[in-house]
This record gives sequence, C-alpha cells and structure tokens, in this order.
Amino acid sequence: MLSLFRKIAAVGRVAESAPPAPEPAPPELAARTRALRGSAQVRCVDAGSCNGCEIEIGQAFGPVYDAERYGARIVASPRHADVLLVTGPVTRNMAEPLRRTYEAAAEPKVVVAVGDCAIDCGEFAGAYGVEGAAGDVVPVDLVVPGCPPEPAAIVEALRKVTGR
Amino acid sequence: MSANPVAVALAVAGGFGLVASTGALVLPARIRVLATGGSAAASGTAGAAAGALALSGRTYAAHLPNLLPLGGVYLRVDALAGVFLAVTGAVFAVAAVYGIGYFRGHGSNRAVQAVWPLFALSLLLVPVAASVSTLLYAWELMALTSLLLVCAGGGEQARSAGLWYAVMTHLGLVALLAGLVWLAAAAHTETFAGIAAASGSISPAVKGAVFVLVLAGFGSKAGMVPLHAWLPRAHPEAPSPVSAVMSAAMVNLGVYGLVRVGFGLLHGGSRWWWLTALLLGALSAVYGIIQAAVETDLKRLLAYSTVENLGLILLAVGAAGILSDSGQPVLAALALAAGLLHVATHAAFKTLLFLGAGSVLHATGTRDLDELGGLRTRMPVTTGLFALGALGAAALPGGAGFPSEWLLLQSLIHARVISGAAALVMLPVAVGAIALSAGLAVATFVKALGTGFLAKPRSARAEHAHEASGPMLAGLGIAAVACLALALVPGTSAPALARAVNAAGLYVGGLPEYADRLTAIGSTLSPLLVVAVVVLLVLAIKALLKITARAPRRAAPLWDCGAPPLTARMEYTATSFAEPLQRVFDDVIAPESDLDVTQHDESEYLVARVAYSRAVPDRIEHRLYLPVVHTVRRAGRMATHVANGSVHRYLGYGFCAVIVLLVVLAAAR
Repeated sequence: MLSLFRKIAAVGRVAESAPPAPEPAPPELAARTRALRGSAQVRCVDAGSCNGCEIEIGQAFGPVYDAERYGARIVASPRHADVLLVTGPVTRNMAEPLRRTYEAAAEPKVVVAVGDCAIDCGEFAGAYGVEGAAGDVVPVDLVVPGCPPEPAAIVEALRKVTGR
Repeated sequence: MSANPVAVALAVAGGFGLVASTGALVLPARIRVLATGGSAAASGTAGAAAGALALSGRTYAAHLPNLLPLGGVYLRVDALAGVFLAVTGAVFAVAAVYGIGYFRGHGSNRAVQAVWPLFALSLLLVPVAASVSTLLYAWELMALTSLLLVCAGGGEQARSAGLWYAVMTHLGLVALLAGLVWLAAAAHTETFAGIAAASGSISPAVKGAVFVLVLAGFGSKAGMVPLHAWLPRAHPEAPSPVSAVMSAAMVNLGVYGLVRVGFGLLHGGSRWWWLTALLLGALSAVYGIIQAAVETDLKRLLAYSTVENLGLILLAVGAAGILSDSGQPVLAALALAAGLLHVATHAAFKTLLFLGAGSVLHATGTRDLDELGGLRTRMPVTTGLFALGALGAAALPGGAGFPSEWLLLQSLIHARVISGAAALVMLPVAVGAIALSAGLAVATFVKALGTGFLAKPRSARAEHAHEASGPMLAGLGIAAVACLALALVPGTSAPALARAVNAAGLYVGGLPEYADRLTAIGSTLSPLLVVAVVVLLVLAIKALLKITARAPRRAAPLWDCGAPPLTARMEYTATSFAEPLQRVFDDVIAPESDLDVTQHDESEYLVARVAYSRAVPDRIEHRLYLPVVHTVRRAGRMATHVANGSVHRYLGYGFCAVIVLLVVLAAAR
C-alpha cells in the first residue's frame, strides 16, 4: 500500500495539459446535450472494426489524454449510456445489434462515428459482408475522421458533447 | 361436574379424526375428499385448541385402566405437551384444508386418505402420553402409519425409501424401548410422575445409559446426524400434505421426547449428556444445510433443511442443559424457550414450503429445480407465498425463523464463563454453527426460490404449469398468516413459552423479566419495527423518485446485448447456482462428477457429444451405513452355509441342542 503511494508521488501527473476548448457543437446538437449538463456516459459499439479505433479510444480514456476530466465516462451497458462511439463499417451481423443498442440507450442520445470506416466504410466499402456506414443504420451526430483517428481528436469530439 | 376443556378438545379431535378415516373408506368418491378433508381439518383445529388451552395454563390428567392391556393408558397434558399439541394440530388442520384440493386430483387414492388422519391422531397422542407403555404405543402407531404413507406412492424410489424408513425407525424404537423400559425398571414404576419422583435415587450410570439410548431413539426421529439417513428419503416420497405433517410436526416429537425425558424425568443429569446433544445438534445443523444447498430436488432440499432446523432445536436443548448445569437457569430457560419457539416457527414455514412444493409438483409433475423456473408468471400466488416461507427459512429479519434463532444466539452469547474445557469450547462453536447454518440457509433458499420460480421455464412441464386450486391456496394462505404472526409479533408467545419451560422441569420464574435483563445489555431487536422501517423506506424512496423525476418513465424491452432472444439456457440452474458452494465444501460433501466426451468417428479432434453428470451422495450414509449393510449381508450369506435347507442337518442341530441342554442341566444340579 505504501509503495503504491510512493509510486504515485514519484510519477506525478502524466496527463497532458488541456488543449484549448474546441469550437462549439452545432446548435441542434448543443440544444439536445444541454440536458447532460457536462456529464456524458459513453458506450463503445464495435460494428465490425479492425480494432485500430478501439486502441485509440482506449488511449483517449487513458492517463495521458484522460477524457474523463472533461466529463466523459465509459459504461458497460447502453442502458446507462448517453453517447454511442460506433467504430468500423457496419457488418451484416452487427447491423441489427447496433440498431437495438441505439434503441436501448437513454434519451437524449448522441452517436459519434469514430474512424473512416464508420463514416464511409473506408477500405471496406462495397465488401460482401458490409451493410453500410454507421450513418446508414443509425442517425450520426458527430464524426471523427482518421484511420485510425488520433486520441486527441476523439477527446475533442467528446468535449463537444459535454461542452467542457 | 363440568368437563375439563382440554379433555373435551382432545376428544373432539379424536372423534373427527376417526370420522375422517372411516369416511375415506366408506364414502362415495364424489364427496369423499371434501368430507374427509373437512373433518380432518376440524380434528386438527380441535387438537390445536387443546394445545392452546394447555399453553394458557390448564392441565389435564387421566388414567384409563381398561383401554390397553398391561397397565392401561395414562394421559397428561401440560404446557410442554401443549406446545407440541398446538403445533401438530395446526399443521394437521392446514394440511387437511390443502389436501381437499390436492387429493381431488388423485381422488382414487382411498388408502392414503384413510391412513393419514390416523397418522395425525397418533402425532397428537405422543405428547399426551404419560407413561412408558402409552408413549411407546403412540410412538409405534406413528411409525407404522407414517410408513404406510411413505410407501403409498409406489415405484422403486418409494419402496427403497420405505425400507430405509422402516429399518431406521424400528431401530430407533428398539433403542427407545430399551432405554425407557430400563428406566421404568430402575424406578419401579412406568408412569412419568412416578419416574420423575424416583429418578433421584437411580444411579447416575444407569441414568447416563438411559439418556444415550433415548437420545439415539428420539434423535433418529428428529433427523439427528448421523441418524438422519431416512429423513431426506422418506419425506419427499409421501404425498405433499403428508410430507408437510411429517417434516413440520412428526420430527418435533423427537425433541419433545428428549426434553420430557431429559429434563422432566431425569432432571437434567450430567453435563456430558447435553454436550453430546449440543454437538450432534450443531453437526446436524451444518451438515443438513450444506446438503440442502447442493440439492436439486425441491422436496429433498426441504427435507435436508428440516435436518438443519431440528439440529438447531437440538442445539438449543443441549445449550439449555449445559447452562442449567452450570447454574445459569435464566439463560437455560431462554435457550429452551428459543428451541420451543423454533419448533413453532419451523413448523409454520416448513408447512408453507412443503405445501408450496406440493403445488409445484401438482402443477408440473416434477420436483427437479433444474427443470423448473418461470413459475412466477404462471403461479403468482404460490410464488409469493413460497417466497414468504423461504424468507422464514433463511432466518432473515422479517422471516419466521429469525426471532427464535436470534433468541438462541442471545442466550448463548450472554452465557457467563463456564468452568470445564469442553463446555468452554463448545458454546462459541455452537454460536459459529448457528451463524454458518443461517448464512448457508440464505443461499439455499435464494436458490430454491430463484431457480425454481423466477426467470424463464426450463422445461415444457414448467411452461405448462397452472395456478393451484382454491383449497390448496387457502392452506398455503393460513400457513403464511401463521408465518407472518410468528415473524412480526413473536413476543406474544412469551407467557406461553414460559409456562412450557416451567413444565419441562427447568426452574424459572418467568421469561419477561429475563428478557428485560437482556435488554439492559442492549441486545433487543423488534422484528415488527425492522419490517415497518424497511417497508416505509422502500415506499419513501419510491415516492421520492416519483416526485423528483423530470421525464416520464419509458417502457423498453429487456436488454439482451442486442442479440435476441434470451433463452432459458442462459439462466442459472440450481446446479450451477450451487457450484461455488459445492467447490467450497468439496471435502465435506465429496461430490461425484463425470465428464463423458464422445469423439467423432472421422477424427479424434472433433467432439460428437459431451455428457456431464453430477451426483452429491450423502457422504455419512456412504461411509457409515453401507459398510454396516454390507457386513449384515455378508453375515446373512455366511449363515446360509449353516442353514442350507437340509432337513437332516436341522434334525442334527435339534439333537445336539437337546444333548447340550441335558449336559448343562446335569452339570448344574
């Protein structure tokens, strides 16, 4: 226990200092997310991703980028979630679960398409197992381009939702 | 001269019981079930009334010299007998009301309906008996009628259960007969009053031997480990109302006998007696509940829970003996009162649970918890009432079992330091045993209720279950009211319990002032208050949420991880729920599991079929009984060499015997 405290003292703070606040979200989205009052519960949905975006999301919530300091928090069930982070092209098997996940999330719900695949199927456009982009299945509010996107970009999108 | 009300109530009980029994034999099928059930219920009510009168302080004694040969019949009702009369009568009445609905389905079983009122009457007769021969007559009547009822189901399992029961109950009777007859011979009288007066002059060695025999005899009836082997076999095989009477009333009489003989006739005796009783009680409690926790047959689970509860009662009796012996009569009386209260509370919740299990069996045709589930939507009333019984059996505040176990713990915790290493070690161990068995009981009954009644049905039989009929629900309802009364206002029974403890022969002025003494140490707990606070808190939180909610509630389908449908195969079964416990107690219960993997014909890397089977045999039974059975069987086989059926050889034996006899007689002259 004591060694843990010693380590905490030795390492200190590793989070990068907060970059300037991003430009505000579009007015329609801002009106909806006002009810969240700066606190967004996030559920990730891997709709067919190569796992690259998942790694970057993991970094976004890690100690360096620390998305939690802006009020975003990963939860385990869409029942608890306000924000869905959808990654990957939506495969045939995941189209229905994604739709159900969207229905199961609490109001108001915000969908963020993370990565090029989720935005327009990217490399996998037209593949036989792909149903379409995330926007073809559920209404998308924000996009984070990149293959994979940088953690800072993901954090920036989440800051638009929380407004902090 | 006006008649004694206790005698009148007993006569009414006996009359209605005989009417019920003969009615079942002669009446046409159309009205048989209703008439038999009605008069059986009246008989039970009268029996309970007799018990209640006895508990209110009335007594009754009679000698009927011509009713039976050899000494006639001695009867005596005091408050101690009253506890058991009241409990037995009430259980009998409730089971009879339930039976009206239960037997209508199996209307043709005339024999069961004729025998079971007689069985209940014999149960009422045991606590009334006031001489050795009367007690033994009643005891044997009880054993025979219950044996018929166990065998009534037919089938291989019932036959095996009947055999076990017949052998064990009669070995118990032999022990009892030897002990009580020895005691009567030493006291030169067979009436209980005479023995109690003369027991001071009997040598301690004889009294100790008598106590050991009586403990074995009564203990086997009370399901005391290691003499419990018959109980989880026999109780489930009988028809459900009869199971309820056996498990909630018959086993209690073992405790009655022990208290009557140990305290009433032998006046306490030595400390090692009660240490033995306490140790065996603690062992029964823990072993019984561990077996119940891993059991998947609903009625066997309840039967093992009976072993546990009777173990706790036995523990209470043992503790009373030790505390009385060490000069703490107050706590001794409290421990005995806790035991007697537990007799009543256990009877209430076990009646409810066994009758509920009977409804499930009636509705689905199976007792296997792994095949049940989903009964909540199909049998809502039964589920609710079973939950109330399960709460009682789990000994949580608000349940029926809580006040008595709490009282017992209090009496043990507040015991002053006792001299003697054995007692010093045993009392804390007993506290631990009570706590352990209470904790495991929670797991057991969460399993019974959760996997049996909630979630989705796991078999077609459970899917097509239907709610029980009116009389069955009425029986369950009465038992539930008794559970609630004992759970919420157990204090009202204090004067009656004080009288019963007095009648048992433990000297005490009265319980209330001692309860006050415990209050002074700050250990009271009002179950009524606890339940009221919990209910109020729940309502308050609900109201608060309603007031503070900013948006209306939205109905949504159950979250199934986005990949429907949810199936019954995703549920916990009784086996999987108990698996962690089975792992923890692996060394105690020694489960046998077998994994059978069949490979595909084409390749040994492809699996065609995986079969898993698991059995939890009763380890004590395996280690203790089977060697004895094998030895007896071997001896029997060896005896066939001696008696091989040859007439010549038998004539030779006779001839030799005569010669030997003549020689002995000649030598003796």
